[in-house]
Amino acid sequence: MISVAFPRTVVRTGAALFALWALSFALSYVPLGPAALPVAIGIAAVKAALVVAFFMELLHGTLSMKLTLLAAGALLAFLIGLMVADIATREPPPLVPFGTHAGRPTADLPTR
Amino acid sequence: MTAGAQLAADEVSSQGEVEELEGHFESLEQQAQAARLGMWVFLATEVLLFGAAFALFISYQVHYPGAFRQSIEHNAKVLGTVNTGVLLTSSTLVAGAVHALRGGNRRWSSWLLAGTIGLAFVFLGIKATEYAKHFAEGIYPGGAGHFFVEHHERGTAEFWTLYYLMTGLHAVHVTIGIGVLGVLLVKIVRGRIGKLSAHKLEVGAIYWHLVDVIWIFLWPLFYLA
Repeated sequence: MISVAFPRTVVRTGAALFALWALSFALSYVPLGPAALPVAIGIAAVKAALVVAFFMELLHGTLSMKLTLLAAGALLAFLIGLMVADIATREPPPLVPFGTHAGRPTADLPTR
Repeated sequence: MTAGAQLAADEVSSQGEVEELEGHFESLEQQAQAARLGMWVFLATEVLLFGAAFALFISYQVHYPGAFRQSIEHNAKVLGTVNTGVLLTSSTLVAGAVHALRGGNRRWSSWLLAGTIGLAFVFLGIKATEYAKHFAEGIYPGGAGHFFVEHHERGTAEFWTLYYLMTGLHAVHVTIGIGVLGVLLVKIVRGRIGKLSAHKLEVGAIYWHLVDVIWIFLWPLFYLA
């Protein structure tokens, strides 16, 4: 009866998810510095991929389903890509006296 | 379609369950496929909704890594981790329920589905405990509460506001999931959904797995990294 409800795929996927869950929790006690967040998100991505492929059965899904998810993923990548581009290219506001432009004094103010 | 042809197109299982073919579909398989695709299209919109919130979190995290680090250390790590285990278990159970129903085992499927719903309530209970703990500490959304008088470093209020926004939005999804799976459970118990219409449970289960996937990403962001 159990074998009917829990085919090997479900059991293995569940076991893999719990192994990764334990790994992620254990790694949170290891001082990884700035690598901690990318590592934790990387493990989460693997877990999400397992759920989507085997529990949600996208692996055996039709092309239309895969394209739907792909479109969402592409739009999300576009959104995050533009946000990263914005944040990475921001400069601190220039500290210049009021009434002047950065590095270029205006015509009506005396220059020093 | 004539009544005779309609009867031929509908399928009747040995347990008396009837899966009706709607007039605008050519076959039951096509009908099931349309239901699955509909859920995937909905999930695509959910990915964008939560994706935007995740992008916002990451951009604040990049700006204020110190405040985010301290806030994560202050968060209820054990409760969050237990809740992750609860959702992973519930996802495994509902995947089992789908397979059981496909195999014609309605009884076993109902038990597994009931277990899934029970774990969803456990999740919400733990979440409520967590919120109560933070409220008692004076942490409210928008930087309100006495906690922020001592912890006024830029980024702290942003972290806790995003925490309430994103986990709250997720909790709404869990609540909806309880409703969806509850209706399916009643229909399975009453024999309205069985082997022939297993795709209906499948569609509900796919939604539940999405709720699990979202939490899989929320957990490291707010409790671990």
